[in-house]
Amino acid sequence: MLDGAEGPVVAEALDYLVQLGEAFGAERLVDITYCHYPAEMAIYEGSVEEAVAYSARGGRVRVPTTTSTLCADLERPASTGCPAALATLQAQVEGAHRRMGMLETYTCTPQLLGFVPPFGSYIASVESSAIVYFNSVLGARTNRGGLFTRYSAITGKYPLMGYLLDDNRRGTHRFDVHVPPKHLATYDAWCALGFHIGAIVGGAVPVITGVRPDRQEWLLGLGAALATSGSVTLFHIPGVTPEARTVDEAFHGQPPQEVHEVTLQDLDAVYERLTTIPRGSAVDFVTLGCPHYNLAQLKNVAEKLAGRRVPEGVRFWVCTNRMTRRQAEYSGYVQAIEAAGALCVADTCPVESHMRLSTCREHGLRAPNVEAMVTDSAKMARYVGDLIGCQTALTDVDSCIRAALSGVFS
Amino acid sequence: MTRTFKASKVVRGVAEGEALACPGSFSFLGDVDMQTGEIIAAGHPCRGMRLAGRVLAYPETKGSSGGCVVLITLARRGLAPAALITEKPADYNLAEGAILAAIPFVCEPEAGLLESLAGGVRVRVDADRGTVELLD
Repeated sequence: MLDGAEGPVVAEALDYLVQLGEAFGAERLVDITYCHYPAEMAIYEGSVEEAVAYSARGGRVRVPTTTSTLCADLERPASTGCPAALATLQAQVEGAHRRMGMLETYTCTPQLLGFVPPFGSYIASVESSAIVYFNSVLGARTNRGGLFTRYSAITGKYPLMGYLLDDNRRGTHRFDVHVPPKHLATYDAWCALGFHIGAIVGGAVPVITGVRPDRQEWLLGLGAALATSGSVTLFHIPGVTPEARTVDEAFHGQPPQEVHEVTLQDLDAVYERLTTIPRGSAVDFVTLGCPHYNLAQLKNVAEKLAGRRVPEGVRFWVCTNRMTRRQAEYSGYVQAIEAAGALCVADTCPVESHMRLSTCREHGLRAPNVEAMVTDSAKMARYVGDLIGCQTALTDVDSCIRAALSGVFS
Repeated sequence: MTRTFKASKVVRGVAEGEALACPGSFSFLGDVDMQTGEIIAAGHPCRGMRLAGRVLAYPETKGSSGGCVVLITLARRGLAPAALITEKPADYNLAEGAILAAIPFVCEPEAGLLESLAGGVRVRVDADRGTVELLD
């Protein structure tokens, strides 16, 4: 490959991967079986144009490759208020991805679409919440990928380093959670737990004891938050996640570097940190679906919105992927959500959309575009505060729906 | 007085610039405005500082894997740091962005480097030799 026998695009891709491997002392490249690729977003200047030009050079993916979120809902770009010029530019990536043989999934949760790599398989993924899920919940192996997933997709290779190696998957910090289960029975509570632990553990490997995540989305919210306040790639929950049948196995038989106790007060502190909207004051945006909601979560929102109405002046986005939205349309959930005046959004979310401060300024939109956003996601709350420039509140889904219907955070 | 600290090479190259030492961990997604290259995170000790042309040094990379794309976008606009230094081992995601943007990157410097960079001294990062040299 490197000598150009398979063409210059493959040789170049391999050369980049070799450079990456050298940067981290990898001994060799290994075969990967799946990629999740960072779809080029039109809010990043030059990104779409570069993808179109690159795809014209003839590179084709060698492994199934899903694509991550965009800055517009491609099926109905006007619905989110995305400026037409930005949406038109964004739509050009679809042709580029098709030419390269990528799958037009445009979601942060490819695992919800059935892309569930087998235990122990080497993959190359972007999207910090998907990366931590693949590693921790499924036991597949990927580092925190970025633009180089393109080169992995085209060559089917990645350097053998980091979290692909057994030694680096050993737990480092133990977190003994002393929070009554009734306080860990909502999605947002798992986000708060992840946000608290991530801020302490940084880029290390937390082992979390004393918890029982009964829902897939709780694990998703936990991981997304761990990779927001920290840069966690892998966590273990003994008795739950596949590489940690026991605490001892999670630490590969070695003692933890640090042990921390986690109490309800620690979770409360996360809510306090991510809630800057005073109680009783007005809300103009509510976001659910970070990471993208699954079908059961959409059903729940649809049922709670039935016969209700979101007032003028409040935007309520329920974000998911396009495959799930198609199914939710079939089941009537999208219609129920939208009859109430909310929006079931696919392909994007507020933080990836045109509503970022810098994008609003470039396109002459009101900036900040949002004054006060309520969400059930710690990741969303953390990023929109600075990127959209709004006040935030982290709370449970029922309170989010109440805020949307009343226009007030109570 | 010249002082030289050893560090591990992540991404090749040599660059000089005024140091910008951040005491806390850093997320390229969220902490930086893409239009100005300014640090915008509420409560960040370096809020209001601009990254362009600076040698950015901080303990550890955190946050979204969108960081790599933010770094490339800053570089396309001439707003990226001249070089990167992290105390902890390099983040894989950020290293990809630095390779593509040809930004020299070193990590795990000798103890005391970040403290020595306070006040924005001029430094020269030579990733190939694995050194960070204080020029002032």
